[in-house]
Amino acid sequence: MRKVMIPAPARQSQYGVAPQLVTKRVAEFPEMTSLMLSDLFADTPPLIYPSEKGISAIRDATRKALERVDMTMIKPHQSVNICASHHGFTVAGGQPYTEMLKILHDVILERTGCKDIRLRAGVGLRFRETEEYIKRFELDTYFGPKKATGVAPIDEGIPIQTEIGTLYGLKAIYDADWIVHAHNSDVREVHFHRQVDRAVKPFGMSYARIETRSTYHQNLGPRGANFTARCIFASDFVQSKFAFASFLDMSPAGVVGVDADNDLFALNDRITLKGCQYYGKIMTLLGEIDECIAVLDFPCPVPYVFAAGVVYANFVGANTDLFDIESNALPAYTWYSEAFYGKNGPLINGMTPVNPAIRICVHNYAWGGYPSAFFAEHTPTIVVGSEQAESMNRDSQNVEYMKHALIAQSTDAAMHFAYKTAKTDKVIIFDGAVGGLNLSKSLAQLLVARAPAVSRKVDEVLLPKWLRQRGIDPVAALGLAAV
Amino acid sequence: MKLVAYLATVDRDVCAGCRICSKVCPTLAITIVEKKPVVDAARCVACGNCEQRCESRAITLEKLPAPHVITVAVDDLPREQVDALCIRAGFHPSQIVCFCSNTRAEEVAAAIIKGAHSPEEITLRTGLRSGCSVECIEPALRLLQAYGITPTPPKGGWQWYGLTPTLKEIPEAVKAKYSNHGFCFEEDLKILESVVASERR
Repeated sequence: MRKVMIPAPARQSQYGVAPQLVTKRVAEFPEMTSLMLSDLFADTPPLIYPSEKGISAIRDATRKALERVDMTMIKPHQSVNICASHHGFTVAGGQPYTEMLKILHDVILERTGCKDIRLRAGVGLRFRETEEYIKRFELDTYFGPKKATGVAPIDEGIPIQTEIGTLYGLKAIYDADWIVHAHNSDVREVHFHRQVDRAVKPFGMSYARIETRSTYHQNLGPRGANFTARCIFASDFVQSKFAFASFLDMSPAGVVGVDADNDLFALNDRITLKGCQYYGKIMTLLGEIDECIAVLDFPCPVPYVFAAGVVYANFVGANTDLFDIESNALPAYTWYSEAFYGKNGPLINGMTPVNPAIRICVHNYAWGGYPSAFFAEHTPTIVVGSEQAESMNRDSQNVEYMKHALIAQSTDAAMHFAYKTAKTDKVIIFDGAVGGLNLSKSLAQLLVARAPAVSRKVDEVLLPKWLRQRGIDPVAALGLAAV
Repeated sequence: MKLVAYLATVDRDVCAGCRICSKVCPTLAITIVEKKPVVDAARCVACGNCEQRCESRAITLEKLPAPHVITVAVDDLPREQVDALCIRAGFHPSQIVCFCSNTRAEEVAAAIIKGAHSPEEITLRTGLRSGCSVECIEPALRLLQAYGITPTPPKGGWQWYGLTPTLKEIPEAVKAKYSNHGFCFEEDLKILESVVASERR
């Protein structure tokens, strides 16, 4: 069995407890081990980051990807907004995304002569999150005074006419002559976007106003919601400003490459296919877990802590196939699912329960800044430390979270309680370890045993189905002979 | 329903007078007096919008010595009146419409029937839009519209701009154009309609 990997360190943020209060990580327990994704699946793609080349691999890959992008529409006297999202700063430590943003700045300057290049970084529900990243990664210095700013969905908006009516974007995203869409292909919220138009999503989310985001989560249905981003991106207004897109091409293990294109829908088809390929196997494998203690141990809101590249919110729904958009209309967790729990239970038949394999959840370290009461209400949850409990109480999005959770004084006490209560020694740790996951030896044995059959099932049965459901032709998307 | 346990507090010496706080406050609790913000404690629902968008970090949320609950009773209204309003707006009465405050459609409907005729008043009475303040503006506007009210956005503010389309309103031509992209419009419409029609509570 391998040694555990080093978890992502605790980080200073207004959305979580102070790092000095995180005194023990669950990966430190002697019964823990680790698995690399490449140990589980032989076809795990090779990484450019992490790799022995370090961050220079991102630099080189970004420059190479941009060689095939047309930038002639950008004139020296014009302005460009490089539009980013918070999520990129949470993958693989944030350095790869930061480096891609810097190279985008440099190459646009070199090739067009344009000097007015700004960074506009959108957020989820933590309105200062990208301000924190901009400072931490010194992007304010790199882009120049007042050129790098965080934008939030409550900032000033502008109407955008779409083929379904008026939606609203953020004025600061579109206040340049041209916009460059800088994102990544980590599937992350597959429970929401269902790997449909993944590349386009920020146009309906981190670049959008509250009205648009509310449309996504309340007006258009669990799958129809994904049309929000497409109709905004396809609008005449956005098309008149869109220059090109550049993406970190992600696998659950790390960065596979950089993809860039003037045609966002072509790029979208490529990352949709690769997202299903790369993430489909590990997500399906995690669905094989029969019983476990789930540990949250990463500087992120509850649903976004991740293990093996998979966020906790996906594990909460891993008892069904999240990529199957036809027969799995309402995964265990989406905001539509949450909305449809009445005062006495589900309002309709056929709603998927939260993954029953999660016997108990140990919240050792995770942030507020996302409405997370659903998770504590549907899974027994124990929060480590009264300070962390108070930080959840203080968060306006989580005033209900601690109504459903217990408090333990220490990580040791929480795990002791969890073992006794859950009556299982299988533990999965969502601590952001890069390239694989930390877990108990007993769970590692289960995953290793089940991985070959899962791999075959995805290759032969599930992947063809997932692609057909999305109208993706692998030959056209990637020029493959067959998938 | 929302337990309000904090109050936005301004350090006037640090405040640079940008006025953004007053533009993002969902209850219009902040007014500008002599170029600096003043918080009406009775209207503050502790959402934190002002604190998070303040450019000079002059606003903090201070714990209240006596937290209070904001909520609207539903049971003192005729059940059929509340239900009918929710259903006209396309919601089941027990459907959650604000994930931060756990507010259900029926409470918003009751607030409207009792005189909350703008998103600001709905927030003040129910706690809807007092958490993330992002995801629940459209339910408020849809319920107001179903009651026959077309509110006007706060002048000069960024609180909200207007109603947006629902699944029912997507043109047939658009549905046909994107029929093989995985949006599942018709199937999702059936789900939403089955929720509204449910007799469960």
